[in-house]
Amino acid sequence: MSSIRANPFPMPDLLAALEHLQQQQNTATLQLGTGSKINQPSDDPAGAAEMIQINDLSSQLDSFQHSISSVSGLLSSADSALNSVVTVLQRAISLGVEGANGTLSDSDRAAIASELGGIQSQLISLANSTYQGRFIFAGTAETQPFVADVTAPSGVRYAGNTQTNTVRIGQGYQIKVNLPGSQIFNGAGADIFQAMSDLIQALNTNSGISAAATEVSTAYTYINGQRVFYGNALNQAQTQQAFLSTEKVDLSQRQDTVSAADIPAVASQLAGDQTALNATLDAIGKMPQTSLFDYLK
Amino acid sequence: MSSLFGTMAIATGALGAEQSALNATTNNVANVNTPGYSRQRPDLVENDPVVVGSVTYGTGVSLRQLESLRDPILQVRIQEETQQQGQLNASVTAMQQAQSQFTTSSGDIGTEISNFFTSLDQLSTDPTNLSLRQGVLTAAGNMATAFNNTANNLSQQRSNLDLEVSQDVKQINVLTGQIATLNNQISQLQGVHQDASALVDQRDVLIGQLSGLIDVSTIQSDNGLTLTTSNGTALVVGGQSFALSTQTNAAGMQDVYGQGADITTKLSGGDLAGILQVRDQTIPALLSNLDTLAAGLANALNTANKGGFDLSGNAGGNLFVAPPASGQGAASSLALQITDPALIAASSDGTPGSNGNLAAFSAVHDQPVAGGQTPTNYYSSIVFNVGNAVANGSAELSSSQLILNQLQDQRNSISGVSLNEEAANMVQYQRAFDAAAQVITTINDMLYTVINMGTLTG
Repeated sequence: MSSIRANPFPMPDLLAALEHLQQQQNTATLQLGTGSKINQPSDDPAGAAEMIQINDLSSQLDSFQHSISSVSGLLSSADSALNSVVTVLQRAISLGVEGANGTLSDSDRAAIASELGGIQSQLISLANSTYQGRFIFAGTAETQPFVADVTAPSGVRYAGNTQTNTVRIGQGYQIKVNLPGSQIFNGAGADIFQAMSDLIQALNTNSGISAAATEVSTAYTYINGQRVFYGNALNQAQTQQAFLSTEKVDLSQRQDTVSAADIPAVASQLAGDQTALNATLDAIGKMPQTSLFDYLK
Repeated sequence: MSSLFGTMAIATGALGAEQSALNATTNNVANVNTPGYSRQRPDLVENDPVVVGSVTYGTGVSLRQLESLRDPILQVRIQEETQQQGQLNASVTAMQQAQSQFTTSSGDIGTEISNFFTSLDQLSTDPTNLSLRQGVLTAAGNMATAFNNTANNLSQQRSNLDLEVSQDVKQINVLTGQIATLNNQISQLQGVHQDASALVDQRDVLIGQLSGLIDVSTIQSDNGLTLTTSNGTALVVGGQSFALSTQTNAAGMQDVYGQGADITTKLSGGDLAGILQVRDQTIPALLSNLDTLAAGLANALNTANKGGFDLSGNAGGNLFVAPPASGQGAASSLALQITDPALIAASSDGTPGSNGNLAAFSAVHDQPVAGGQTPTNYYSSIVFNVGNAVANGSAELSSSQLILNQLQDQRNSISGVSLNEEAANMVQYQRAFDAAAQVITTINDMLYTVINMGTLTG
């Protein structure tokens, strides 16, 4: 035979073509359904591996954001407690100035001392503030940090510890979330309880009132300085929150680049496959149903 | 000058030859859809001429044989490609099953690892909170379960593949037995110079099926056909078949034996080789990777927990049951050591409210714990390898399938029955038959004339 004889059985090839098209359609349909072009690792091994890292990163970002909102609650309560402390101290200072006025009677000074006693209690109560059941200014201890103690010079003893906690709010970014109460309220030369107690004492004995009032002012300035820590931490947390939001957007864009199905492309491919499928089916349908046998009488 | 009877004999011979040719056509038409059937062609030859004086007379036609049209070389190529295809098909199918374990879902290892580290971050914001502590413990438990499930499913798949090995071996033995029987029949027929094409076709079909299961080399020799595996283990020698057997090895898996020798690692084609490859190499390698990761994570987290203090101020112990020193089986056996959330050693100084040691836990996320990689990176490289194996295998499988289709097309264009061709042949043979019959009638008339010559004159 001179020329190559035609394959008399074209059907298996057509069926293989049909199967191939069907498979492509299934893949395209799945991509449209899930919106992702990686539905199993073999769809894009490198992409699938990258997606695992992206997903991990994304859950980390979520977690950081969650941490920031938890921590912000704590930081805000601390900040507002210290804000109250400062307000209360302003009153104490003006009372001290008033008490230093030499024209006051003993009873006037006793009245001022009594008001200052009330302020002292208020300060202790503020220093024992809690957030969700935890003492804010106890360091990492779980006990009430400031307790009345007559043996202590100021009448108040610190029962917390000097530890601080840090919380991760970003990759390799940790912020300190507390200052120990002893650092805030018992500053060297600026112990607020000592200053208050000294002022009350001075008023009661009518000696060294000005010096004691100055002591309270010093403590006031010092606490104001400590308060900056919480303001800063809150600022840091908020800035980081905004940064994380941007990063999340970037990440989800990266996620899209790696895994999102190109919907228009997939849809048009699906349509193309459908056309090819129809054409193949058409071809099969139009294959000769007859052979030469049918034409022999 | 030849005789009328001689001419009559030529016509009679032609009748017989055309009828036999028509028989071939009929047989072709009947077998148009028979798998493996090779079409037959009547091999018509001129009879030897007779020389009378100076004239050479033809003595008609006879049918030498009905020739089956086949290309043995092509047949061998088809067998080889079938082996390749069988192997790829088996391994890709098995690997596709395996990769479903590594598809990102709500409970896959990667997700659970991420969740665990997330739970630590949450706890660090409120280290004495028991429900956050329970959250860490639950996440650690889920992570262990993800390792357990993945490893157990892979092991289960391995056992299933092992069952397929025994089934394949049984099927191979049935086929080699049948081929040996056919070999016998073929050599008997060929011994008496008879046509054995029908049996050869059948044998080709069986060898094709065998090729789908195991690598087969065919050697055609005088005493019949010899089939061996590619490493030379005899499967069929002439009329004798050699059954393969299986024996349970130390790992509880079936090894394949041929003629007393272990050929498990020597098979290179067919379903059996594909299954063995996944059973003995791919899945064990995956399991070993998972073990490395599970052991690395568990050890690092145990070290972290031991470096801190629990809620009661006591030094921390193991978070996970210590993985086996060899690491083997670490993934399937990964389990929590503690059930009390207070025992998570979050504190770095013994005070309950400290979260200092949680940084040591979180650091594990970015530490090289397995193969010099961080947990997530190591896991993602496992996933890459699985996906890549499936993707490459699938690509090879499609191209092998394409090649096989083309080879089959080629085979069909040589051996396949075309109904048009057969119809044309039928007409041709019928016309020739009619003509020969007409010749006989004519000679008959002539003989009549000759016989009645005397009567005419009288």
